[in-house]
Amino acid sequence: MPGSGEIPDWLSVPQAYEPLSDHSTFAAKSMLSVAAVLRQLRLDDGRTSLLSPSAPVKLTLALGAIILNSLAGNIMVTLVLLAFVLVRAALLPRHALARAAAVAGAAAMLAFLIALPAALLGQPASAVRLGLKALVSTGLAMEVALTTPAAELTGALRSFRVPNLVIMAIDLTLRNIVRLGECAYETLIALTLRSVGRDTDKRASMGNVGGTLFVRASRAAADTYDAMRCRGFEGEYDGGARFRLHAADAAWIAAFALLAALFLHLEGIA
Amino acid sequence: MHIPENYLSPSTCAVFDVAMVPIWGYAAKKVRETVPREKMPLVGIAAAFCFLSMMFNIPLPGGTTGHAVCGTLIAILFGPWTACLAVSVALIIQAVFFGDGGILAIGANCFNMAFVLPMVGYAVYKLISDRIEGRKGELIGAGVGSYLGLNVAALLAAIEFGIQPMLFTDAAGAALYCPYPLSVSIPAMMLGHLTVAGLAEAGFTVGILAFLRSTAPSFGIETVEQGGKAASAIGLVVALIAACPLGLLATGDAWGEWGLEDLAEMVGYEPAGLATGWEWSSFMPDYSVGALPEVAGYIVSAIIGVALLVIIFRLAAGAMKPEVDFS
Repeated sequence: MPGSGEIPDWLSVPQAYEPLSDHSTFAAKSMLSVAAVLRQLRLDDGRTSLLSPSAPVKLTLALGAIILNSLAGNIMVTLVLLAFVLVRAALLPRHALARAAAVAGAAAMLAFLIALPAALLGQPASAVRLGLKALVSTGLAMEVALTTPAAELTGALRSFRVPNLVIMAIDLTLRNIVRLGECAYETLIALTLRSVGRDTDKRASMGNVGGTLFVRASRAAADTYDAMRCRGFEGEYDGGARFRLHAADAAWIAAFALLAALFLHLEGIA
Repeated sequence: MHIPENYLSPSTCAVFDVAMVPIWGYAAKKVRETVPREKMPLVGIAAAFCFLSMMFNIPLPGGTTGHAVCGTLIAILFGPWTACLAVSVALIIQAVFFGDGGILAIGANCFNMAFVLPMVGYAVYKLISDRIEGRKGELIGAGVGSYLGLNVAALLAAIEFGIQPMLFTDAAGAALYCPYPLSVSIPAMMLGHLTVAGLAEAGFTVGILAFLRSTAPSFGIETVEQGGKAASAIGLVVALIAACPLGLLATGDAWGEWGLEDLAEMVGYEPAGLATGWEWSSFMPDYSVGALPEVAGYIVSAIIGVALLVIIFRLAAGAMKPEVDFS
């Protein structure tokens, strides 16, 4: 028996073990990517800035801007919105900027690829225009999510008189998707690390990951229910009655009104 | 000095595009080695100075216009290879979004304005600032270096224009691309740059450098002072954006940047390569935004360009591996 400070004999023997290579692309790439995307759906790292409008105004104006961007036949509205989206993105913290750029860039690329046949048929501007519109709309949505704490977003929904049940369903779903995404990601990483050599029973491994997730989801649901009972929460969201218009809100609403006027003028409606 | 689409033959463009690839690769390597991660966002702001200075068109003798580039300024602040990358990104944004400079001619434009200009400007700056001590030597070096850097770049552009009719003609001897030979292009380009545009470049470079040294000493690669940050530099960028419509006061095109119809009117025929060549249709041609008034369109264009540059360099900073000193 070696002393406590000595290296055991079996540890000092060189080992010539070389694990057989395995085709684990499915687990390593596909499922990990899906789990990583689910983790990215988190809404709890939003931060407001000094000039931010209140959450209900921000949500309303962002939705309005996305609608204007989608309806605009004239590219000018999209370009004016692009200027705003880019300036706001440039002022985001580094991690938030990276997330916004990744999501908006991916959406723009997807829209461009979908419209690529138009480019091949001699309308390259259409594909670029669609990509630009997707970039602006997704960028706006990401910036709202990244500059608004989750609790304020929920409160904003309440101030729009959205039924409590709907808010609770959205709230719990979004939170649990992220939590289960994180759980799936960690389990898959653990599975990949421990699967040294050739794994002949991949389907069972995948089933185990799914089963683990299911058990975790059931536990999380039970825990949430218990927590709600302990805190006396009956599914009633507060916050709808406290909304007041601030000076920053008025400035943002005025800016949006200008944009809407520009849209109406360019589209020949007014 | 932005060479437009089809003024150079595709083969000339290809030579410069291929030549720029290793230069960009080496520049990226040098930037990774020399520019600390936390300074990268400042490079984006410096690139914004470059982008905005190119929007201030200045009337030149002969009825054309010119502009500063501020490549030497970035070279002094962050090193010549950083300037190469920063000016390249600014030029690519100008070509893709604003149609300023050709897409195929990006290699040639980057070679002139992003590679040769900062290298020459920085070499002259070092030569002078090493011999004259203090702030005075730095500012004199910056002024002379930027003046010479811009003029060497303009000379190269003139040569690239001027060799086209020597190399590429049709059966009748008519030029296929730029129709002006060296005997016309060099005097025409250099007259304006030696007299006005060079001085404007020196003015922009010395003015911005003096401002940054006094208000934001930490703005630059060699300065390590804490505090001051980049607030004043950001303020200057905002002021330049607000003032950039002054560039619209200079009417007329820069030499070698005419539209096809204007060129045909001047030389009496449409060069075949120019008339049939591929052309990228940007969404904001000449920094205009659809039917928006010219001034508003110019400001929106400046905002989009500056924001894009800041975002690109901030994302690049995020992609760089953080340095850990284990010593």
